[in-house]
Amino acid sequence: MVKKEIFFPDPFKQMGENIPAAGGFGALTASAGIGKTAFLVRMSLSSLLRDNNILHISLNNPVEKVCLQYEEVFRNLAAQHKVKVSDQLWETILPNRFIMTFKAETFSAPKLEERVNDLTEQGIFFPRMIVLDGLPFDEAPRKTFTDLKSLARKHGVPIWFTVRTHRHAPPGPDGIPLPMLHVADLFEAIFELHAEGNDIRLQSVRK
Amino acid sequence: MKTDISKVRNIGISAHIDSGKTTLTERILFYTKRIHTIHDVKGKDGVGATMDSMELEKERGITIASAATFCEWNEHEVNIIDTPGHVDFTIEVERSLRVLDGAILVLCSVGGVQSQSITVDQQMKRYKVPCIAFINKCDRSGANPERVIVQLKEKLGHNAVALQMPMGLEIKFEGVIDLIKMKALYFDGSNGETVREEEIPSQYLEEANAKRDTMLDAISIFSDELTEALLEEKEITQAMIIEAVRKGTLTRELTPVMIGSAYKNKGVQPLLDGVNAFLPCPSDVENEALDTEENEKTVILSTDMKKPLVSFAFKLEDGQYGQLTYIRVYQGAINKGDTVINVRTGKKVKIGRLVRLHANHSEEIEMIPSGYIGAMFGIDCASGDTFTAPGLSLTMTSMYVPDPVISLAIVPKDNKSEMNMSKALNRFTKEDPTFKAHVDDETNETIISGMGELHLEVYVERMRREYNAEVSTGQPRVAYRETITQRADFNYTHKKQTGGSGQYGRIAGYIEPTDEGDFIFENDIKGGSIPTQYIPACEKGFKNCMAKGPLMEFPVTGVKITINDGASHSVDSSDMAFQAAARGAFLEGYRRATPVIHEPIMKVVVETPTEFQGTVMGTLNQRRGMIVGAQDEGVMCVIEAHLPLADMFGYSTVLRSSTQGKAQFTMEFSTYKQVPKNIAEELLKKAAENKKKAA
Repeated sequence: MVKKEIFFPDPFKQMGENIPAAGGFGALTASAGIGKTAFLVRMSLSSLLRDNNILHISLNNPVEKVCLQYEEVFRNLAAQHKVKVSDQLWETILPNRFIMTFKAETFSAPKLEERVNDLTEQGIFFPRMIVLDGLPFDEAPRKTFTDLKSLARKHGVPIWFTVRTHRHAPPGPDGIPLPMLHVADLFEAIFELHAEGNDIRLQSVRK
Repeated sequence: MKTDISKVRNIGISAHIDSGKTTLTERILFYTKRIHTIHDVKGKDGVGATMDSMELEKERGITIASAATFCEWNEHEVNIIDTPGHVDFTIEVERSLRVLDGAILVLCSVGGVQSQSITVDQQMKRYKVPCIAFINKCDRSGANPERVIVQLKEKLGHNAVALQMPMGLEIKFEGVIDLIKMKALYFDGSNGETVREEEIPSQYLEEANAKRDTMLDAISIFSDELTEALLEEKEITQAMIIEAVRKGTLTRELTPVMIGSAYKNKGVQPLLDGVNAFLPCPSDVENEALDTEENEKTVILSTDMKKPLVSFAFKLEDGQYGQLTYIRVYQGAINKGDTVINVRTGKKVKIGRLVRLHANHSEEIEMIPSGYIGAMFGIDCASGDTFTAPGLSLTMTSMYVPDPVISLAIVPKDNKSEMNMSKALNRFTKEDPTFKAHVDDETNETIISGMGELHLEVYVERMRREYNAEVSTGQPRVAYRETITQRADFNYTHKKQTGGSGQYGRIAGYIEPTDEGDFIFENDIKGGSIPTQYIPACEKGFKNCMAKGPLMEFPVTGVKITINDGASHSVDSSDMAFQAAARGAFLEGYRRATPVIHEPIMKVVVETPTEFQGTVMGTLNQRRGMIVGAQDEGVMCVIEAHLPLADMFGYSTVLRSSTQGKAQFTMEFSTYKQVPKNIAEELLKKAAENKKKAA
């Protein structure tokens, strides 16, 4: 049995007490290119190393690309923390991850529910957390989110979303990003990633 | 053979299993007076249908090999190839559709569009073959031609237009209404040989009128004259309708649908009329060749007999009179005695005997003209070869050959069977490009691969019947590996000094796992404890142990051996002594290094309709699979998983049966991984039992 060495700081600890519980929604917002997906993957990796099953949903990216994103973030973290990680460790955490990709235009909560049920009813995979990358918030109607909320509650999992904001568009009231205004009340946690020089800062918007 | 090429039809009959292709062909041959008695596919008389000439076909009631024949209907010459429905024999459909001009897609009125219907439809699309859909078995309980037409539209994307409607269905099926002539057709006589035309019975008239209107609406797009006549409420002639339907059919923008029951001798003659009226003659089809001297520029071939020969060999059979090669002539003509070039080999060949085929019979002919299919005896070539007149630099694209999906290990029962098996395999692999045979380098097993269990079963049976080769079959052995998981020291002395010249060598060092290669040897000897001249012998001794691991005699990988001490004797040390010492040292260190067994893990990608996604994931999960992810692509989805090769045996059958044959998968080697403890224990137990048996 390979010991899972957790060699990088837990990003959830950095988020403080604002982490949504089972059935809750969390959002990572940023403009294009800041690193929302990379941070989301880092959160997933942290959970995977703690033996939590992650269902990673990506819209408009193939499975292979998502796999490469995980490998890249994992190796970068190892290099950053000067840790030599074995292939065995990587192999050990992979079974805890399940990737699903959809085309954004055909994605729907009922479809996702059907797919998740396929996994749970056959005992194939029980997610402890769902990450959903690439959902276009400004196009998705509120119903999509209320349906996803029901799904999250039914399966007892939190769902983390990435939200693309526009660089030059100011946030709405209470600092809520514009694309999220119509569904902000459904979110227990909203974080913003923004660049400060060479660093990327994580800041809570929803307190 | 007809000289007027416009009166020639080369058609294939393709469909899912048991849709009635061979039965339909039997009726066609009977009504065209090619045969005088109808025999059923699996009839009580045991004779079998004309086109199922192989004994195995008659016994099992399935078509295994495609069979060609020809007949005449209303002054048209119709060359027919009847094809198998099982996906195992898909190459027969592939090669037939490659060379035919038109096809009849037979659909069961109960089963509708089934898995192989989809496959043959894709094959027709690949070769741009226009088709008529024939909804068969309207006499059966549950027959529903309307539903089948909807499926044709929705599942196959055809612009299906019904040209007929049934009078009654199931046990009440009495005939069809021709919506072009607006007449009721009945099939009288003991074999339905007499077609009687009557006025449409009053109970069907309203529906017939409505269906005719639908038909006219759908086909008017292909004829300005028809559109004008419809808009201006002028007379619509049969010729107008036929011309419009033909135009749409030839461009594959329309699929005419006809109805009947071949077994009950209903609807076949109108179908033949449809073949003449709607399917293309050879000159209606644009056939292309590639000019090898002009960067494979496309050249359109002409059916002109005076032009230089271009022909395509699409099937071969090894028989008692030598190889029989089925050939389609696209341009020019092949005459007996001609010298032609095999473009692939560049060799000149002289044409000996030419024949025309009727199932397993042949008649000698002097020439195969452009637009016709025939066969030549005694020419050695491969399927997909192009034969041209000398001096021509044209070649034709070959047919698509799918990869095999299943493998079996075969073991001949005795030496005689081994020789015969070899002959059989040479022949079968030559005749069928989807049937492959090879000897596995590692396990030394003869492995046969094919398109399905039935495919391999048929060849094993044919080996037995035609070559007297008795073989047993089994799952191919998995190429396991052995490796170590930790570092271990060794210090081994090889000593044989009982008098006279002896042997002596001591080697000390350590063995450890490595990612950097299969075998790494490092010499860390200091102070000459092992003389330099014996170091290569040490390395050789260690390396020789890698071929068959101590655990289960699998190849050993990922091992680094470092020697750092030893001893030698001035007289008794030698290369042999140090090789023996290395062997002993290896065994000593290996056992201490916690050796494990590794198994090949395959990357498996399954493409399936979304409705079966859950089922497919279940089948993968049951095989110790780790599902990496699922990619939704609308109607289909792609699931990627990593599975041990040992658990993939028979997966193609499982996948087919759990997805109605609609899913496919590919498999490629990914990596080696440690076998779970319980599986390792089973393997060790088996290996011990085998050793006991061998001893």
